[in-house]
Amino acid sequence: MIRHLAFFISEAYIAFRRSGIMIFIAIGTITVSLVVFGLVLLINVNMNNVAHFIASKIEIRLFLKDGLTMNEISSFQEEIRLIPEVKDVVFVHKDNAWREFKEQYRNLSLSDLVHTNPLPNAFKVILNNNLTIKRIASKLSLQNYYVSDIVYGGLIAERMERFATLVKVGGIILVGILSLATLFIIFNTIRLTVINRQNEITIMKLVGATNPFISGPFIIEGLIMGIFGSMLSVGLLKFAYHFFGIQIQKSIPYLPIVFDALTLNKIYLSIVFLGALLGTLGALLSIKKSLKAAI
Amino acid sequence: MIKIKRLTKRYASGVTSLENVDFEVQKNEFVYLVGPSGAGKSTLLKMIFRADVPTEGEIFIDNFSLKEITQRQIPYLRRSIGVVFQDFKLLPNRTVFENVAFALQFLEMSRSKIRRQVSQVLELVGLQEKKDQLPGELSGGEQQRICIARAIVNNPPILLADEPTGSLDPDTSWDIMQLLSKINTRDTTVLVATHNRGIVDDIRKRVVALENGRIVRDQDYGAYYS
Repeated sequence: MIRHLAFFISEAYIAFRRSGIMIFIAIGTITVSLVVFGLVLLINVNMNNVAHFIASKIEIRLFLKDGLTMNEISSFQEEIRLIPEVKDVVFVHKDNAWREFKEQYRNLSLSDLVHTNPLPNAFKVILNNNLTIKRIASKLSLQNYYVSDIVYGGLIAERMERFATLVKVGGIILVGILSLATLFIIFNTIRLTVINRQNEITIMKLVGATNPFISGPFIIEGLIMGIFGSMLSVGLLKFAYHFFGIQIQKSIPYLPIVFDALTLNKIYLSIVFLGALLGTLGALLSIKKSLKAAI
Repeated sequence: MIKIKRLTKRYASGVTSLENVDFEVQKNEFVYLVGPSGAGKSTLLKMIFRADVPTEGEIFIDNFSLKEITQRQIPYLRRSIGVVFQDFKLLPNRTVFENVAFALQFLEMSRSKIRRQVSQVLELVGLQEKKDQLPGELSGGEQQRICIARAIVNNPPILLADEPTGSLDPDTSWDIMQLLSKINTRDTTVLVATHNRGIVDDIRKRVVALENGRIVRDQDYGAYYS
């Protein structure tokens, strides 16, 4: 077995040395397809991040009815806190709210126009996951005894929710289609290198080589091409992402670009894994076809 | 060694290449398969090493019917049959040595044994000096010698040669046939398909003549024409 493996590797090496241009083109094609694939992954991760970021800036403002005692207010606050999706509930006293409001709109001289505080007591509800904002808001609005009104930036929240889902589902579909396209391109590229050596395969069969023996070097070749291509594409993506990421960050500072090493390394690693997998699979399918064609 | 029973090959197009062919080749025999182009010589050889399958009839190699053979067993059958092709079927980007060693790579054999065996066979065919050259740098006769060396390097009991002198000049053809005769003396059954009249007449052996897919003559020490 080890002797066979050594033979497969030496055969793959010979093939690399002797059909250099063909292999170079194949690796180039794999690199380009995986760069496109990786780009979609990176864009998707960032769009997801933007969606979550915007959603995280949205909170529920819950206005309380007048006449509630402080005891009632704190027990209702506790009740809201017990909802699993709720991260925090901050009580905003109506006096504080009125003071802040007057501060904010100082130029309107509100004290001259309104003599009593028109604002109600309120809760600022912060959620763990803002994509659930609509559901929680409608759940809270059912508490008629306490709640006079509820505001949660509904439309933006809904839009963000829809956008985030779209990004997720669209991303999955796009990545799926792209994976297939990448497989197709890689398969065809490797197929060309195999067709180029159809004569060799026929001769191997005629002198008594078994199918696994003939396939071995081609599969190793596919694996190596896949790894080389994917590593090249990761190199390119890494360079381009950091370069353009920093540029974008500089010009739009509030846009949250993902620079988290763990997330990015996961993507890069998955590209290398995909490259190796597609390279091997492409070689396997190609050689299978060629073996059938050979007598 | 080789038994052919009522072998018929009909193609989908309706062309019949072989019809009711019946003959036996004994161990260590040397047999010429003669006849004009299209007589069915190559088809017959192809069916012996399972590059083609008969429509009817059966082939036995050492009493084993090829009808029974599975796809997985074909490589093992081919290891016991060396084949010399008219177009050599050499790997152009491998050296003479590599081309011959190729047929031993998939056997459980150490590198040193492969080297020894290839050197011996290259010595036999007279190509030891050119072992590091590529086939394209050699003459037709030399390329045919590489092909012969590859066919016999693992000492198969049977050697099939399909028009081995088809593209060679008379002198080279003579050398190649001498080489095949020499291999025959090393306990190898040799079956040569040829339409080289001069060779068949000069190096007399058993002759099986085919015409339009049928055997028309089977004669010991025969000439090309009866």
